[in-house]
Amino acid sequence: MSTRVALILAACVLTTLPAAAHHSFAIYDMSQNIAFEGVVDVVKLRNPHMAMTLVETKPDGSKATIDFVEGAPANMIVRLGLKPDDIAPGKKIKAIGAPRRDNPTQFFLKAVILPDGQKFSVIN
Amino acid sequence: MRNLVAGLVAAAATVLAAAPHTVLAQAARGAHPDFSGLYFPGGGRSQTPQQLPYTPAAKKLAMEYESHFTLDDDPGRFCIWPGMPRAVWGAPFTVEIQQRPQDVSIYWEGYGMYRKIYMADHNPPKPVLPSAMGLSVAHWEGDTLVVETSNLKAYPYMARMATSSDAHVTERLHLEERDVKGEKQKFLVNQLVLTDPKVYTEPIKITATLQSRPDLNLLEYTCTDTLWEDYLGQRGLKLPDLDALPSGTAK
Repeated sequence: MSTRVALILAACVLTTLPAAAHHSFAIYDMSQNIAFEGVVDVVKLRNPHMAMTLVETKPDGSKATIDFVEGAPANMIVRLGLKPDDIAPGKKIKAIGAPRRDNPTQFFLKAVILPDGQKFSVIN
Repeated sequence: MRNLVAGLVAAAATVLAAAPHTVLAQAARGAHPDFSGLYFPGGGRSQTPQQLPYTPAAKKLAMEYESHFTLDDDPGRFCIWPGMPRAVWGAPFTVEIQQRPQDVSIYWEGYGMYRKIYMADHNPPKPVLPSAMGLSVAHWEGDTLVVETSNLKAYPYMARMATSSDAHVTERLHLEERDVKGEKQKFLVNQLVLTDPKVYTEPIKITATLQSRPDLNLLEYTCTDTLWEDYLGQRGLKLPDLDALPSGTAK
């Protein structure tokens, strides 16, 4: 499993500066790493932040939509080596999220794990 | 005597050949350093003060701002350029610099920002409209490029080092070679001083560093389409999906 974090580590350092990132991540509880597995439904690979929904099938067969309202900028995602086709609608992936503090049904997309085990972390 | 001169010339040539990219070599040629190239922020932490030295009036505005604005109310979400001086320590994206005798152009991938620094000895333009990057005029002091920037428009986002239109930025840029894991790497160091007597009681000093990264590329960064799509969503409108159309037959 390859974890491509070098660029993002640099980004994390910079996010401590007043204008380094697009905004503070304090609205999310970044200490949490909640794992999901499902099929990509809608993906918006865009700037200043990507967004994605993932449909998860629960053991009882019911489905739940996980709303990653925010992730890294599209440019940062592709620099990590993640290809748009890897997270195209219909693709099965694992994803790690951190919930919003004021709305735990919405998540920041911290990492994507492809079926072959490749992990793309946008923040540790 | 002729042999001595020839020997000195040969010695100088040896020095230049041994260190073709060093400041020493550039000085020996009588040329200014060339900042041109691709860079990425890093290689050094900013020295942004944790507590900004607000004037009492600005402090009051900052407290009011904090009580009304949330973390979601961030100009970055709305694709607003950080502008000067905030762009200098910038977002984690590629930066490209192109240097000519008459000017230095800087392209930031993040926010698609663009800035031109005019050389004072090449008839720089007069100020026109206040802008996010302002008007920058520079001169060389040895191997250091000294840039003076004014004519900035106000940046009233108190959570991001706000500045008034009276702000003035002085930058001193120079190249350095540093050891990175046993290899010599080129860095562009920017020692910046912000003065803004309407907002801050004293100059704010920041050091920002760009690392030379010729292996990177400059991607397009647009985000206003995101804003428009969000706006349309609020109106219940959806843009047509042209990619879902079947391929036609060209006639």
